[in-house]
Amino acid sequence: MSGVLVIAESRRGELREVSLELVTAAREVAEAAGGQLKVAIIGADAEQVGPQLGAEGVDEVLTVTAPQQHFEAHVWQKALEALIDSEQPSLILAGHTIDSLGFAPATAARRALGFATDVTAISWADGPRAVRGAYGDKLHSELEFPGKECTLLTVRPGLFSPATPGEGSVPVRAVEANLENVARTEHIEFVEATAGDVDITKAEFLLSIGRGVEDKDNIPRFEQLAERFGATLSVSRPLVDAGWMPSARQVGQSGKTVKPRVYLAFGISGAVQHLAGMRNADTIIAVNTDPEAPIFSVAHYGAVADLFEVADELEQALG
Amino acid sequence: MKIVVPVKQVAALDEEFELLDDGSGVDPDFLEWDLNEWDTFSMEAALQIRENADGDGHEVVVVTVGDEEAEEGLLSCLAKGADRALRIWDESLQGADVLAVAKVLAAAVERESPDLVLCGVQSSDAVYGATGVALAGYLDLPHVAVVKGLDYDAAQATATVERELEGGLVEVLRVEAPALLTIQTGINEPRYATLRAIKQAREKPLQVSDLADLGLEEDAVGQAAGSRAVALKPPEPGEGAEMLNGSPAAVAARIVEIVQERMSG
Amino acid sequence: MFLLAATKSRPVFWHFTTPLKVLWYVLAVLSVLVFLYGVARPIVKWRRGHGGPWPPYPWRELPRRLATGLRLLLSHATIARRDHLAGWAHRGIFYGFIVLFAGTVVLGFNTDFTDPVFGWNYFHGNFYLAYKETLNVLGTVLIAGVLAMMVRRALIRPRKLDYARPDRNSDDSQFDRRVYEVGDWAFVVILLVIALTGFVLEGVRIAMDAPGYAGTQFGGWVVAQIIGGLSHSTLAGLRHGLWWFHGLLAIAFVASIPYTKAAHMLTSYLSLSLRDRLAGKRLRAIPPERADLPAGYGALSDFSPLHLMNLDACTKCGKCHEACPANATGRPLSPRDVILELREQANHAFTAGGIGGVLGGLINEQANGDGFTAGVIGEDGVRTETVWSCMQCNACVEACPVGIEQAPIINQLRRRLVEEGELDANLQSVLQVIHKSGNSFGENRRKRGRWTQELEFQVKDARKEPVDVLWFVGDYASFDPRSQKVTRALARLFQEASVDFGILYDGERNSGNDVRRIGEEGLFESLAEQNIATIEKCEFNRIVTSDPHSLNTLRNEYPDLGASWTVAHHTTLLRELIESGRLDVKGRLSYRVTYHDPCHLGRFNGEYDHPRRILELLGCTLVEMPRNRDNSFCCGAGGGRIWIPDTPGQERPSENRIREAVSLPGVELFVVSCPKDVTMYEDAIKTSGNAERIQLRELTELIEEALVPATQLVPA
Repeated sequence: MSGVLVIAESRRGELREVSLELVTAAREVAEAAGGQLKVAIIGADAEQVGPQLGAEGVDEVLTVTAPQQHFEAHVWQKALEALIDSEQPSLILAGHTIDSLGFAPATAARRALGFATDVTAISWADGPRAVRGAYGDKLHSELEFPGKECTLLTVRPGLFSPATPGEGSVPVRAVEANLENVARTEHIEFVEATAGDVDITKAEFLLSIGRGVEDKDNIPRFEQLAERFGATLSVSRPLVDAGWMPSARQVGQSGKTVKPRVYLAFGISGAVQHLAGMRNADTIIAVNTDPEAPIFSVAHYGAVADLFEVADELEQALG
Repeated sequence: MKIVVPVKQVAALDEEFELLDDGSGVDPDFLEWDLNEWDTFSMEAALQIRENADGDGHEVVVVTVGDEEAEEGLLSCLAKGADRALRIWDESLQGADVLAVAKVLAAAVERESPDLVLCGVQSSDAVYGATGVALAGYLDLPHVAVVKGLDYDAAQATATVERELEGGLVEVLRVEAPALLTIQTGINEPRYATLRAIKQAREKPLQVSDLADLGLEEDAVGQAAGSRAVALKPPEPGEGAEMLNGSPAAVAARIVEIVQERMSG
Repeated sequence: MFLLAATKSRPVFWHFTTPLKVLWYVLAVLSVLVFLYGVARPIVKWRRGHGGPWPPYPWRELPRRLATGLRLLLSHATIARRDHLAGWAHRGIFYGFIVLFAGTVVLGFNTDFTDPVFGWNYFHGNFYLAYKETLNVLGTVLIAGVLAMMVRRALIRPRKLDYARPDRNSDDSQFDRRVYEVGDWAFVVILLVIALTGFVLEGVRIAMDAPGYAGTQFGGWVVAQIIGGLSHSTLAGLRHGLWWFHGLLAIAFVASIPYTKAAHMLTSYLSLSLRDRLAGKRLRAIPPERADLPAGYGALSDFSPLHLMNLDACTKCGKCHEACPANATGRPLSPRDVILELREQANHAFTAGGIGGVLGGLINEQANGDGFTAGVIGEDGVRTETVWSCMQCNACVEACPVGIEQAPIINQLRRRLVEEGELDANLQSVLQVIHKSGNSFGENRRKRGRWTQELEFQVKDARKEPVDVLWFVGDYASFDPRSQKVTRALARLFQEASVDFGILYDGERNSGNDVRRIGEEGLFESLAEQNIATIEKCEFNRIVTSDPHSLNTLRNEYPDLGASWTVAHHTTLLRELIESGRLDVKGRLSYRVTYHDPCHLGRFNGEYDHPRRILELLGCTLVEMPRNRDNSFCCGAGGGRIWIPDTPGQERPSENRIREAVSLPGVELFVVSCPKDVTMYEDAIKTSGNAERIQLRELTELIEEALVPATQLVPA
């Protein structure tokens, strides 16, 4: 067995960005792993999106056409197993995404693959090696896959820069797989989340404000700033207590516990109860006038500054 | 109707901690054990399905792979209303990886032949997000991962579920039992187990099994493992906050830069 | 002699035919029977509560308790408290009624016993004159009292007599409880009519018989002057009619006592006599025989007989309604309405049993009817938001003139809600956190002693070496950054005064006081047991705690679990240290301050004077807030409320309190002596926009401030 196989993803006819990130990740180890770098796309739309996957460094694009219009875990699982059988890769990379989590572990179990998820770094030393977080990323765990001819890794999205999409110069090959009557779930519909109900625990980027905003009238400008920044607005307890913001927005012991990728705190001094709700954010940036504010003890980046002045400048910078 | 709920006793790392001298893990003194948050939601989902079902004879069985520490989590599930509990442990399971644990669970769940298996999406310590679907793979059960809405029709043995996709998109789909679902947080409001109820739960059946009891070979864990941990290390140090200095404009520029860097992808 | 004696008396049955006399006696006996049945009824009802012992206290305690209750009743201390008008008016009615009633008994004793049996008639002569004089005075007093109450209800209309329910919307049929007002008015009007007809009857007698001693019957004499011109036959008719009217009204009144508002003469006195001095301060454990049943009160049959009796004792005086901080800040809770709601449910459920049920219940304890096992909590009962609005500050229990345990009853309702999972999600997670980590901050237990690291000296570990003072620090003082400053200041003061003290470090757990008040009884027991096991292994002379909540449970509740220690608040020790000169701080400050009594130090433990004495010793001028000492206003943190988010836009109790403080002229500092107060009021001073006008100080911080100049006086 040899070579690296990337499992790309599409949703509703569009290639998902993580696919091209996986190509970048695969390129880093492809040479050491030996063999070819192939990218496979499974789905009804496989042939349409396939050519984009022929990025630099990709030897071949594989398409597996599924009878279902949308992702179906059992069909994808079967398709992946067909790909393993036909391509015999030594390393398979998939995205650590909702879809992949729906079928990759089952394949790993059934085929006794080397397996790890949410991988943040991949290397090759006489076989693949992977790094992944442990205990909420407070530690890094290094893994090897002894005795495994094939290893399946799901890679955390957003860590590798996406490869430039191909323009059709890489050969595309259709891989046959019998996928009829494999589905075991029935798709009913897609529902878009309603804008009104905010779940700050699910937000990737929170702009959080605290007592430092001083007045209820200052809140709308931070709402606008958050919107421009692509962030969700959250608050600390005093603003909820004051009745300025609904409690659904509250971060902290008596509010929500959040773990966004970025937590940008304005005017939050960081009471223990508040810190308990956000200290596990991947990146914490705090702006506060008080250099002794406890929030700086958990922040990764801090600025002792007037939050309104910084907000002014941010508005400028974001245009 | 029978629902099996596999749960995990997870470790939370204290803010400050020390690694074992050989680097193989964290000094247990610095770990706080608790029932995995996701599993409180899958447990609640199971209890609600049982409570809403007509007739008697429905059963919720909670299963875990873990040493004695894990009984605390089982007790809280029993206190909330699970009918019985099963704890599987064998020295060879120490440090077992996700596939090995799924393999062992599969042996136990198979004997129960449940209508539904409800797992948490992931555990808060290892965060593989794979145990449930791997278990479904071993058992060849239909499965849906990351379920944030669940409506089970016991008469039709059909579950209509909402699968939570990235960016707030939701897919509604239908699956027939027996099936395995991995349950996302927020799907319900897990009930509270009072300390009195936890004490009383000691009266409920809690069975402890080893690999042999489940008909597994001694080296089943090693056979099934998908990986081996080589080292556990703290990430590159970043003690305290890096202070952003300069004018408000400079601070703002850096913030934009950091945010874009962290949010890219 | 005979003539004189004959004139200084009166015929009891004036010109009565025998059948009429018989009728009178039949009616009187009937009235007594109805009365007795009415007394038996509630007793049977109370015994349907299985959540506590019957009798609530051993019978042998009853005489002593009734005597204590009688002393309290005669003094009117609890009734007159915080409402002097009501106190005096009630005294008038009470003493007037008692004496008029006693007068009737004295007359009856003469007419129906001593005269017919022994031929001894004492109802004449000077005795009769003194009798008339006394009854006239007290009758007048009764009328004055009744009139005062009427004026109060009709014209003064204090807030506490507004029966509108804060737990119901104004369009709810249960909202204003108009029926109660009808009952209240009927009660005072009947009392007035009985008293007045007595005087009119006397006046008719005087007008007809013209005895020479009308001066002793001034009430009747006044009436006689008015009606003197009427003809003899008119007067005679009037005399007969009035006699029957007055008499029938009186016996009807007696018969009705157990069934109307008048029942409080019996139930309130009983409740007051059975009052538990530790009510609310020491909550009751789950009785061992109920260990396997759901905890707390979900149905009437879960209540203790004592608490069911409490329900019947309520006079709707509204003292608890007025004292309740939740009610004062617009929350859907009035302790009075909780009691009345439960009482209505109990009476409704009980009436269904009928007379047979009552009489049977006297002999055997009755099986419960459906009404007693139906839930008391719900939309049409006590609502969950009402139960969770309570701060368990005990202001209601403290204010209640008749010994009702409002807060403990609410606590029992909470126990059931906790068991059924009907609690706020945040509160639920805090309980889980406390269970997990032993503190409400979710911090690792090893960090409990972390605050000592910034001190320049080592704080002893009381588990490892003997100490004089074992300092139980408490969660907030250990983990909250603001309170840690106070905690360190206190440690420095102890060090300065050479106090031999130590702490438990990671051995200490949340004391459980608030956990118990939330209603998580099992968690409380578990925490208390852990603390007791740790402390039992230490060598010390006394426990000092800087947390009044911990003080309360360690002092009042841990003994039930086997602890027997001397527990003091840090202000007690600090006062000793200052008075003995070990802390040289006297007269060094000159702030104008006000002091907030923490509920758990003041009302719960009666400690009002140590903090005030310390302020005085420091040289501060204390300006009291209108609500002080036992009437102190809860900061809003109690009973777990500190962990339940407030409804946005509503005034918080702490803000209400700060407004009270800043209304005092020239007060610079708001002094507290409880870590939760530090958190609550620091916040409230800011959110109420008073940061410029007043500052918060923990008493310890003031002492340390006073100490600094002292050390500067002595060059090193």
